[in-house]
Amino acid sequence: MTVRAGDAPPSGPPVVARESLQGKYAGFASRFTAFAVDVGVSLGVFMLALAAISFAALVLTGKDIAWHSGDTWVIIAYAVWAFIYFAHSWAASGRTVGMALFGVRVVTDGGADVSGRRAVVRTLALPLSFLFLGLGFVGILLGNRRRALHDVIAGTAVIYAWDARAAKLRFLSRK
Amino acid sequence: MNVNAVLDQVDLNAVLDQVDINQVLDRIDLDRLLERIDLNDIVKGIDVEALVKQTDLGAVIAAASSGVAGDVLDVVRSQTVGLDEFIARWIGRLRRRPYTGPPGPPDRQRPGTGS
Repeated sequence: MTVRAGDAPPSGPPVVARESLQGKYAGFASRFTAFAVDVGVSLGVFMLALAAISFAALVLTGKDIAWHSGDTWVIIAYAVWAFIYFAHSWAASGRTVGMALFGVRVVTDGGADVSGRRAVVRTLALPLSFLFLGLGFVGILLGNRRRALHDVIAGTAVIYAWDARAAKLRFLSRK
Repeated sequence: MNVNAVLDQVDLNAVLDQVDINQVLDRIDLDRLLERIDLNDIVKGIDVEALVKQTDLGAVIAAASSGVAGDVLDVVRSQTVGLDEFIARWIGRLRRRPYTGPPGPPDRQRPGTGS
């Protein structure tokens, strides 16, 4: 029997219900949504910090500090904070808050834990993937190992870090 | 005198309304009461095996180890993986390559490699 491109996939339950995805390369949607959550979390924490600084300044000096998103030093401060957020998260546990939420994890291209150096390189290379309309992310869609440009530069990959089969069993046990 | 006939005429609800349960409990010496109870004897009387058989321990453990938040997380992850699969299938169609599931895992993530 031959399988033509464009044929419907074999019938049966979706892949997530059939097998544990643990360790397999994570797809675009999981990675993108995790990243969106991380941007939200890092921005939220940053804005809270700015608000706390404003409040402290108001209490101590009586002067109100006005923050503008266009201020150069605010942008620099956020860039530094974002660098710390991503690099520290990847070095410490291989995952950020968003990645933990969506069950994905950064590993080396061989599948080992990411070192601090690799985490720093990956963080520094991340903006490069956004260049040329996000061309660096195409590798996630087309590559055999679903790696973006910053993954290739840092020698990393993103894998599913949750057991889909166990999740299904947990669900069934409560039915 | 027939005691039952007397009891029939007593309004027990009215009597109970007048009883202060807290006062009654204050008069009870719980320590002395507990001393008289042999817990070992009571436990010996329980058929533990039958109790375990009647209890779905698997479900209890599963329920204890993962709550509602875990359920929500599983659903969110499953939905996102479904979206991953959907996108990958469409990319496969556009590239005229059949999609056979997510690639991987990397060498050190394979079962039995100890990572």
